[in-house]
Order: sequence, then C-alpha cells, then structure tokens
Amino acid sequence: MLSEFSAINGRSWGYWRLVALCAFLFAVGMGAFLAIEIFGHGITGMNNQVVWGMPHVFAISLLVMASGALNLGSMSTVFASIQFKQFTRFSAFLAIVLLAGGLTVLLLDLGRPERLLLPMLYMNFRSMFTWNVFLYSGFFVLCLLYLWSMFEYKQFTKVVGSAAFAWRVILTTGTGSIFGVVQARDVFHSAITGPMFVAVSLTSGTALSTIILVGTYRRTGRFMDERLVFGLRNALIFFTLLVGYLFVVEKFTKFYSPAFYNVEVWLFTGPWAWLYWFGVWGCCVVFPLMILFSGRMGNTVGGVLAASSLTVLGAFAFVGHVLLAGQSFPFDMFPGYQLSSVFMDGQDAVYSPALVEFLLGFGGIALSALLFLLGIKFFRLLPAKAVVPEGWDLPWSP
Amino acid sequence: MELFRSLATRMSVVLFLALLLGLGGAFPADLEAGPPVLEKPKGSACVRPGEWMRRNHMDFLKHKRSLTVREGLRVRSESLLKCAECHTSHGRFCDRCHSYVGVAPDCFECHLYPE
Amino acid sequence: MTMDRRTVLGLGGMLAAGVVLAPGMRLIAAPNDRTDASEKHRWAMLIDVNKCNPECTSCTQACRKENNVPLVGDPQRDIHWIRKVELHNKEGYGPDRSLPVMCNHCEHPPCVHVCPTQASFVRKDGIVLVDMHRCIGCRYCMIACPYKARSLVYSKPLVPPDANPRVPIRAKGVVEKCTFCVHRIDDGGEPACVEACRKEGEGGMLFGDLNDPKSEISIRVRQVQTTVIRADLGLKPRVRYQGI
Repeated sequence: MLSEFSAINGRSWGYWRLVALCAFLFAVGMGAFLAIEIFGHGITGMNNQVVWGMPHVFAISLLVMASGALNLGSMSTVFASIQFKQFTRFSAFLAIVLLAGGLTVLLLDLGRPERLLLPMLYMNFRSMFTWNVFLYSGFFVLCLLYLWSMFEYKQFTKVVGSAAFAWRVILTTGTGSIFGVVQARDVFHSAITGPMFVAVSLTSGTALSTIILVGTYRRTGRFMDERLVFGLRNALIFFTLLVGYLFVVEKFTKFYSPAFYNVEVWLFTGPWAWLYWFGVWGCCVVFPLMILFSGRMGNTVGGVLAASSLTVLGAFAFVGHVLLAGQSFPFDMFPGYQLSSVFMDGQDAVYSPALVEFLLGFGGIALSALLFLLGIKFFRLLPAKAVVPEGWDLPWSP
Repeated sequence: MELFRSLATRMSVVLFLALLLGLGGAFPADLEAGPPVLEKPKGSACVRPGEWMRRNHMDFLKHKRSLTVREGLRVRSESLLKCAECHTSHGRFCDRCHSYVGVAPDCFECHLYPE
Repeated sequence: MTMDRRTVLGLGGMLAAGVVLAPGMRLIAAPNDRTDASEKHRWAMLIDVNKCNPECTSCTQACRKENNVPLVGDPQRDIHWIRKVELHNKEGYGPDRSLPVMCNHCEHPPCVHVCPTQASFVRKDGIVLVDMHRCIGCRYCMIACPYKARSLVYSKPLVPPDANPRVPIRAKGVVEKCTFCVHRIDDGGEPACVEACRKEGEGGMLFGDLNDPKSEISIRVRQVQTTVIRADLGLKPRVRYQGI
C-alpha cells in the first residue's frame, strides 16, 4: 500500500538556510538583469556574431528540463508504471517551477524587456516564438490542471495527464524548432533538431527528478526504497540510448552530403569540438551509460546520482553547443571563396561569456529551486514514505 | 473563514495607509506653482487647432508614426521635423508639460529634435 | 459629475469628427504633401562587382553619415548596415573580389518570418524594415538572417555631431539594419550608398524599380547575367550582383 502524501516539516535551520541561499541568488540574478537593462547588452559577452549567449543556454536548458520533469507523471498516468504514481504530484510541480525559472531568464534577457506585452498584441503566427508563447502557457495551465486533478478530482487525472504528455512532446519539439527551422544556420538546421530536444528532455528530466527526489528524501530523513531509484535508472538508460541514436542519425545524414563536409569537420575539430565531444557525447551519452551499465556503479544509488548529474550537465552542454557552436560557424555566403571583412565575415565568432550572464542564469535556477522548496513545504506533494507497491519489482539490473 | 476575515481587515488597514500616503504625495508644492509655462511657438498656426493638439497630440503622433513606418505614409507638412520649426525645443516645450503631468515618452531617445 | 462626463464625451465626438475631416482637407490643399508606399513599385539594387574597387569605401561611409550609424569602437559590436566583403578564391578558379553586402530585402525574408511581434515587416513596395517602436530585442531575426545584415545596439548610441535629423538614432536593445534609405526613396531619391558610389566611386551600384520595365535596372537585369547571394535558400533577394 502506498503511503500518505505529506508536506515536509521545513522548520530546520538547514531548510531556511537553503531558502535564503536561493532567495539571495535570485536577488543577485535580478540585479544582473537590472544591470543589463541599465547599461545595455554591452556589459554581457554577447556581440553581433553571437547574439544569444549564456542566459539563453540556461533558459532553454531549464525549459527542456521542465518538459522532462513531467516524465515521472507521464510514466505513471499514461504508461501505467504504478511504482511512480507516488511521484506524479512532485513531477507536475517540478515541471511548473522549472518552466517559471527558464521563462524568467529568457524574458529578462530581451533587449527591451519593458515591451514584453507586445508579442501578445501583435502576433506573428509564422514565428516559432509566437508558437512557443502558446505552448509554454498551455503547458503551464495543463500542469496546473494535472496537479489540481490529482489533489481534488482524481477522475480527471488520466485525461489531463495524457493531454499534458502530448503537449510536452509538442512543446519541446517547438523549443527545438526555434533552431531547427532556421535554414541559414548549417549547424542546427535539421528536421531532427526538434526530436533531439525531446530526447534530451527525456534524459535530463528523468535525471534531475532522480537527483531532487533522492536529495529531498535524504535531507528530510524520509524513507525511499532504493529499487525506485534503480527503476529510474532503467528509464534513464533507455532515454539515453534514444539520445545517442538520434545524435548518430543526424551526423550520419549530414556527413553523407558533401555540402556539409565543411561544417561537420568544423564541429568535430573546430573551436567548439571540446564541448561537442566532452559535453554533448560525453556527458549526454557515453559517461552516463558507462556508469549505468557497469555492474559495480550502476547498482548503487551514488552511481545513479553521478550518472544523473552528468546527464543534467550534458543537457546544458547540448543546448550550449547548439546555440554557441551554431552561431559561431561563419556563413558561407560565397561558396568556394574565403571571406573577410570588418564585420568578421568568414571568421569563427568569438564569444566569452561575462559574469553577469551567469548571474542571470543562476538567478533563474535559484527561482526554480526557491519555488520548489516552498512548494514542498506548503503542499502535500511527496509521500511520507516512498515504497515499492506490492507486486512490483525491478525488471532488470546490470 | 476567520483567517480570511482577519486577513481582509489587515489588508484594508494597509490599503488605507497606502492611500493616505499616496494622497500626501499627490499634493506637493507644484500645485501652487500652477500649470507649466511652455515656450511660445514660432509660427502662426499649428497643423491642428491648439486645443485639439493639447488633448490629442499623443494619439496623433503615435497613429501617424505607425502609418509612416509601416505604410510609408509621409505627410511632409506634419512630420516631426516640421514640429521643430515652431516648437524649437523639446526641453522648453514638450518636456515641461510632460514632467508636470508625470509622463515620460521616449520619443527623443531616438528622434533627433532640438534640445 | 454627470454633466462633466457628458461634456467630455460630446467634446470627444466633435474632436473625432475633426480627425476625419482634417486629413482630407490637407490632401486637397497640397497633393504632393502626402505620399504612400505602393505595391506598384518593387525596389531593387544591382551591384556590378567588376566596378567595385577594393580600396573604396564610399558606400559604407555614406551610409554611416546618412543613417547616423556610428562605429562604437568595439569591432565585435560595431553596427554595419552595409559592409565591404573581400572574397579570396580558395580553389583558384577566378580572381579575388571585393563587394558590398547589405540587407538583401528578400521577397521571403526569414527575419520577418521569425519576428514574434511583426516588428520586422515587408513594406508594400518590398522594402524590409524594422519597426523600432515594436522591436523587443529578442535577436531571433539575427539568428535567421543568412546575410548577417542585422546588428543589435549594444550600448547607448552616440549621436554624431553632424547627425542627419531625418533619420532617428536607435535606442539600445533594438535590432537595426539597412532600410534602403527609405526616407530618400519616399522623396523620390535613391539610397545614399548608390549616390556615393556614382559620385565618388566607379558607379557600380544601380538602384531602381523592377516593376517598371523601362527602368534602367529592369533593362540591365534582362540583358546581363546577374545572380544573388545564397540563391539556394529560395529567399529571392532584391540585391542582385553582376560579375561573380
């Protein structure tokens, strides 16, 4: 029998210290926003070659993970994995807070943030951004309804949860398509960019949920059956293989066409190669799989946590690589010619992020963390004891 | 319900205090100084009657701004540069009234107009 | 109190009638006073690369002066509406080239497609513009443009001492680009770069109306082989090049 949901005590010194730390980081992030607003984007590391920098890496990674945070809920509600039913409330709530953090960073990095309402007044339905305005707000509403139905109207949970699942697939395809539809950029123009974002959201969301669940249960001294963590490990392995598969298909297709030799060789050996090999392949796919498949580490909670941390890092690396490498590769306006100009034509773009960008990004993460910490104190989001339901056991272990 | 009632009481007290403070702030010495004195325009007549302009210049300018930028409408006798021929300074004309009524349009951040 | 409101409403109605009447009266008074962009025109440019001298920067300088585009002193964040690009033939099949690149005023502009607020738009006569009053500074257009035609204003803009009052400067945080000198076109003129090229350079730039079959540009485009940058993207740019 699954145990009752209960809010955490949240009266300890450690809890309030954590809340204070998040609030402080959030305040610093707002300070960074004000600084950018007052002095202009000149104080960031962004320039006219790389126009989207670290704030966008943070924001889009958080949005990708927001959609991924719904995994546990969907696995239970849509795919009937009964062992995760106890985490559905947590899952929907985590999705909401990550969305809030990510969107905050994204919107506060605008050149003219005071004109935030203009996209609502003058919509351009061809823009992926306009689509995303609807996708994000719809996701927000669906997650809230999902959460509400789990608290009050259980008969609607199935239908709302399924709708939220469908919505998050479309949502993350939309996020990836911000890049995928841009024909001018050889690095990320691809029909598979959207699905790759979906796959990365599956891994990173599962990984982040694992870390936060284990962390919360340990810090609050509650009991959590280790087999649940290993269940998440199996899901993570499956999702990571999916990510690797899509990466391979994308590179295979591109490398088949001579038109892409230049850009692909540049990606493998150019200035962003370290991020590609170490971050995208290493952290997203290879290192986590090595840990999770090993009989020694894959069967310990610590090993799963390490792999999960790498996966979350990998999601940042993946988004960062798409954005930064994508913008750094010079346009080949005149094939066959070497270009040069005062506007850096034909050169790899240079970008070194400024501290203020990181502060804004961490501010977004801190906002998500703050909302989460307050959420688990004031709402009954987590079961008092996370146990394995009767009749369920681990299907596989390395 | 009780919680709500006590909350509502507290909030109404706070609101009342805020209102008082706000009213206090709204009666500064400015009021005694009377309406602002604007620089006398040079020409003989504006493109619209003065009374009408006083009330509607903001909509007039904003409307024409959109038409000019987006539809390419150019009414040469009514361009912003023409305004400057009579109202020779935004500091002595536009800004005086704007700061009196507490609005801060940002036209002159971009549009070059005599100071 | 009610009296007051009625007076205000009545006055509002009278004034509204005034708005409707007044522009009509003006129109009769001075026909040339009022002009509109019209779909009858299709503005375009033809650049003869053979006439472009690598040493010459008349077009870019004229643009900076006409449109108040300052050099901010940081090459990474300088704003360029038009720039000279040097082409060095890697494979040795032809001579090196020097040519100006600017906004290509595409028929299917990707910047306009991605803009969330319709701040980037195509005017009736085919000119692609940015409505600075509406730009929120999201920079998606800069991601989407394959010509690197756009720049973000990174800091408070400098006002040059001899600024041209006809063109507003741009506040920080918005994206700007070549307008084909739309203010000159509306007055029946041609872009500043074209004028400078003819007066100071070799006259390699030609501006005109593609919808007018008798215009010089229409005749030239029919007679000589011309091309556009990145024709493979299908954007149908209206800046054409001859001699590459």
